[in-house]
Amino acid sequence: MKIAVAYKWAPNPQDASVSGSGAVDWSRAKPAISEYDQVAITVGRGLADALGAELVGISVGTSETGSSMARKAALSRGLDRLAIVTDDDWAGADAGRTARVLAQVVEQVGEVGLVLTGDSSVDLGAQLVGAVLGAELGWPVVTNVTSVAGAAGELTVSRSREGGTQSLRVTGPVVLSVAPDAAIPTVPGMKDILAAGKKPTDVVEAAVPPPGSVEVLSTAPPTLKARKTLVIDGSDPAAAAAELVAALRADTVI
Amino acid sequence: MSSTYILVADDARIGDLLTMASGSTTTAVVVGRREVADRVAAGGVDSVIWLGAPAADVPLEAYGPAVAQVVAEAAPDLVLAATRPADRVLAGAVVAATGAQVFTMVRSVTVSDGSVELGRDVFGGIAQEVVRVTGPVVLVVDGGPDVTAGSAVEVTERAAEVRPGVTVVEEQPAERAAVDLTRAPRIVTAGRGVKSRDDLALVDALAAALGAESACSRPLAEGLGWYTHDRYVGVTGQHVQPELYVAVGVSGQLQHVVGARGAGTVVAINADKDCPYFAEADYCVVGDLYALVPALTEALS
Repeated sequence: MKIAVAYKWAPNPQDASVSGSGAVDWSRAKPAISEYDQVAITVGRGLADALGAELVGISVGTSETGSSMARKAALSRGLDRLAIVTDDDWAGADAGRTARVLAQVVEQVGEVGLVLTGDSSVDLGAQLVGAVLGAELGWPVVTNVTSVAGAAGELTVSRSREGGTQSLRVTGPVVLSVAPDAAIPTVPGMKDILAAGKKPTDVVEAAVPPPGSVEVLSTAPPTLKARKTLVIDGSDPAAAAAELVAALRADTVI
Repeated sequence: MSSTYILVADDARIGDLLTMASGSTTTAVVVGRREVADRVAAGGVDSVIWLGAPAADVPLEAYGPAVAQVVAEAAPDLVLAATRPADRVLAGAVVAATGAQVFTMVRSVTVSDGSVELGRDVFGGIAQEVVRVTGPVVLVVDGGPDVTAGSAVEVTERAAEVRPGVTVVEEQPAERAAVDLTRAPRIVTAGRGVKSRDDLALVDALAAALGAESACSRPLAEGLGWYTHDRYVGVTGQHVQPELYVAVGVSGQLQHVVGARGAGTVVAINADKDCPYFAEADYCVVGDLYALVPALTEALS
């Protein structure tokens, strides 16, 4: 059996700048392996070692996803090899389109019995790729997975839910979206980074679905409430506390 | 009139979805218990399709293909689902079956002749846009409050096949009941400035003095595990709108602030006078939280 881990090479919106008209400038935001995908890779590595499975990183993105830096960043985190699709018109793809391409990658890799995804991507945060991917493959999907154990074809999966935790038995191929705290990602060392350069990457040919019909009518910076931004000096804590309480009472908030 | 399908996974907290669907003919597709279907039927939809009582060992997600089939046959203009885990899996099945485009963080929707106009936040809330989308559309957004009971429509039961492969072996209830922060009038949130788990007692004491719920920023829930996920405020956590929001030792990373932008009055307590949160707070208290929080608790009691 092979285990596939979906990952995204994406920048953090925190580092992007937004103009007064709402245009997003990504030039100063450096892409990285999206942080929750790092959790999925770590979970995958542990499971692949336990099951003697090969761990394949799968991704779709622009040619940047195929760059040496992006490949090494992914492979140094413990993946055995990569199978990726690159398409220069890819930017802006939604979760559905991403999942449709990833499903083809899973089919082409072959013998995949388990696909892991992170909770959500750092840039879009939709929390939906795993759900659509499972449906495209015709496999069940379990989200918020906190642990996975067992053997190929008979996995025991724990997942957290609003009312507590649930233990599930999985007896076939499955897509598991791991919870953000399912594992603490390891930081790759120099040895991992050097080893990453020797691991293979397959660039997969896939039928990339055309982008959907979305016409942007307007963009704007976020609407923020006007805030007072009154600074209270806390060097005298009792005085600062009294000042704050008085202000909140004057505002009839408390 | 346009038609909207609302996907419901055993949870009638779909009040905001109903608001979003107003002006449209609404059908709820309910997976889970009959009582949830009945509740939704009395909550203001035009019709309800219930896929039957699930066996105890069948997870709600196993109904994905059946839900997708119902929606694909009806081909509605719009499909809505809440951001809850099982609801998202049902939405994913619909996206796969219909080829619909899927959007999140949507604030407003207008369905008109063959297209849907959406106002939404993009990239975790750094900007917003208005888009016109042609073709089927699925929106996954906050479900909102429980429906309010009114006159009920009929519940149509439809037999559904469930996807095999996953069975529930054991349920373990949470030690504490989950809190619904989205309805809390006051919230005190602890951030990375709190150095150890024991120190949360300071924050909890302030919350108690204010009659507020305790909450946290992401690292305290997801790396440190000091709080459960239902108390984490942020872009991938809870989106809250209390009258008073007190952020204790939270620097104000966008990831967090987006989850609390709906707050009435914001107080930020931080040692760093240049922390980003002070740009989006009403009261910016600069100093050591270990001295300020007890002083504030004292001043309130």
